[in-house]
Amino acid sequence: MALMSASKTDSPPAAANLPREGGARPRRTTGRSSGSRPRTSRWVEASMVLPALVVFVGLLVVPVGYAVYYSFTDYNGFPTQTPEIVGFDNYVRIFESADVRGSMVVTAIVAVAGSMVVNAAALGLALLLWRTTRFTAFARVVMFYPHVLSLIVVGFLWSAILGPQGAVNSVLENLGRSPLPFLSDETWALATLILVIAWAQFGVQLLIYLAGLQAVPAELLEASRMDGANRWQTFRHVTWPALAPSVTVALITSMISLLKTYDVVVSLTGGGPAGSTKTFAYQILAVEFPKRQVGLASAEAVVLILVAAFLAFGVLALRRRHDQGAQA
Amino acid sequence: MLVNLTDNLTKDFWNDLVKPFEDETGIDVKIEGPTGTNVGETFSSQLAAGTAPDVVQSIFPDDQIAPEVLDLSEESWVEDTPMVDTYAIDGKRLVAGVGSQAQSLVYYNKTAFEKAGIKATPQTWDEFNATLGQLADAGYTPLQTAGQWQTGLQLQQLWHPTLNTEQPEWQSAVADEKLTLGDAFEPMFEHYATWLGDGYIKKTDVGLDPTTADANFMEGKVGMYPLGSWLVASLDNAGELPFEVGVFSPPVDDGMAYPGPQGATMASPYMVYAGSEHSDEALQLVEYLVTDEAAIESQLTADGVFRAGAAVEQSPVATEIQAVIDEAPALVAVGEGAGDIRLPVVGLNDKFTEIVQSLYTGTSPEDAAKALDDWAEQNG
Repeated sequence: MALMSASKTDSPPAAANLPREGGARPRRTTGRSSGSRPRTSRWVEASMVLPALVVFVGLLVVPVGYAVYYSFTDYNGFPTQTPEIVGFDNYVRIFESADVRGSMVVTAIVAVAGSMVVNAAALGLALLLWRTTRFTAFARVVMFYPHVLSLIVVGFLWSAILGPQGAVNSVLENLGRSPLPFLSDETWALATLILVIAWAQFGVQLLIYLAGLQAVPAELLEASRMDGANRWQTFRHVTWPALAPSVTVALITSMISLLKTYDVVVSLTGGGPAGSTKTFAYQILAVEFPKRQVGLASAEAVVLILVAAFLAFGVLALRRRHDQGAQA
Repeated sequence: MLVNLTDNLTKDFWNDLVKPFEDETGIDVKIEGPTGTNVGETFSSQLAAGTAPDVVQSIFPDDQIAPEVLDLSEESWVEDTPMVDTYAIDGKRLVAGVGSQAQSLVYYNKTAFEKAGIKATPQTWDEFNATLGQLADAGYTPLQTAGQWQTGLQLQQLWHPTLNTEQPEWQSAVADEKLTLGDAFEPMFEHYATWLGDGYIKKTDVGLDPTTADANFMEGKVGMYPLGSWLVASLDNAGELPFEVGVFSPPVDDGMAYPGPQGATMASPYMVYAGSEHSDEALQLVEYLVTDEAAIESQLTADGVFRAGAAVEQSPVATEIQAVIDEAPALVAVGEGAGDIRLPVVGLNDKFTEIVQSLYTGTSPEDAAKALDDWAEQNG
């Protein structure tokens, strides 16, 4: 049986000459090339870009620039201190400090395991809630609801449920069972943290996958069914390739979001037990800043930005290479 | 004014506290709680952002904060405030408080002690170990501990009298490299490891929030509960308890005089931001908070705070705490220290809690002590 693929090269012949939604639109011909536009037109265009550019520079470039600058200083964050340049000392300290290295490992585990759990849950539920009915419309709202809650609140909520004397362990105790160390064992606490974050965050990824699924061409699904493909084969060879861009976006956004895990750590575990859930962002915000090591904290923030950028570009590059391979 | 918000010190409490001042002076006082995990973190962030409050409560000056706050030495009303000179840096009085909080207290369930056949509160560590065993045999949780910030604090509180007897001003000894942090605390780590191994401390306590630990003690399930004097406010507010509460000073080693020095901190410390555009009003506010009789009484009763000569009606537990304070040979600085008696490293309490928690999850006392020394070396 020849199964169909969703790649551009083997689109259904009947649809090949039809304008496709989201595809390239025919270029309008104005009779005037862009190179000969009047100068006033260019000024108008520039003036339209300027507000967005100012906001971008003001809210992103300038703060990041300051962080980079402070990362090379001994600044303590107080207005009375003049930052003194210390070269790469702060970056050296990051990699010499056992605490910081430990928080990096925790963050890597949270980001990798968390994004896998988030995306698996979101994709699974998206497939279940794909078709629009009254029930699935209601279920989508319910599934998105945890994302609306503040992560601080989420942490307190799950702490009350999973704490040593929380709801779950109280039930176990009443049943004569031993309590489970959700928050009192290092490994359990890290797993609990990841699952709680996944519960709170998968709503956005669910929306991304649902949007992606709506864009899967119905004619391809119909054709695969006519060819006798079962559900798994349809998913593997039609739905999954069509979802690839959504998977890329969902993976990148979830990983970057998990790299910044902080709020839920504060309210669920406080970084414990024994520092086992102390993330990199927690180290920056709850350890270095209170100690007024703004230079060191800034260096850590710069490292976090670089890691996030590396991950995002890395996933995009892999996706591009995969697409090129598929087209070839 | 940036203040600490706790179960005892709620936003309503603070608003009620400053209301008479606002009515009398016409000065509007805006109360704000920490936006980060605590006041120290929030104040540092606000200073960096240029949005520091006029007055900050609950934190103490150190070498970095000192240039950022007003020197109150010339203010005559500071003279009689408690512990003002203990917290002075290079002779400068930068902070004024309402009273002092006793840190090294062990609250105990007198009913549990009676049922367990314990005739007297323990004065040495051997007696303390025996007491734990008797309470366990009688079906009580012998020693209640908790997770989060409380894990490390409780161990320090229990160890203060012994440590300060053996090594007075131990923070200075560490600064002078005559003592390491690991050496200072390893004996107490060994006590904890033994108690965890014997089941006298529940290993799951490390995941317990402090409020639940308070509740466990007040429900009467617990024999002993180490904590500071602020617990008295919760005990007083809890109404009729199913048992009688007693308080004693933690034990000391054999051969040491009992009780040992009592760990104490200035209670409700206030500092005025040097960059404040309303420094006169801020000074008036702090003067009111630390000298007005009604304001003092309100703060003393709200958070288990003690002040010599204050005419405040005390509960029986508070009276016992006052007796513990009166009997102590000295009130000593705790944790990182105070004023000029300070460790050469900042951030001890958070790291200390992390290390004490590692005892609950299987780290040996030797490794815990080494981790403390390694941290001090890397951050000193």
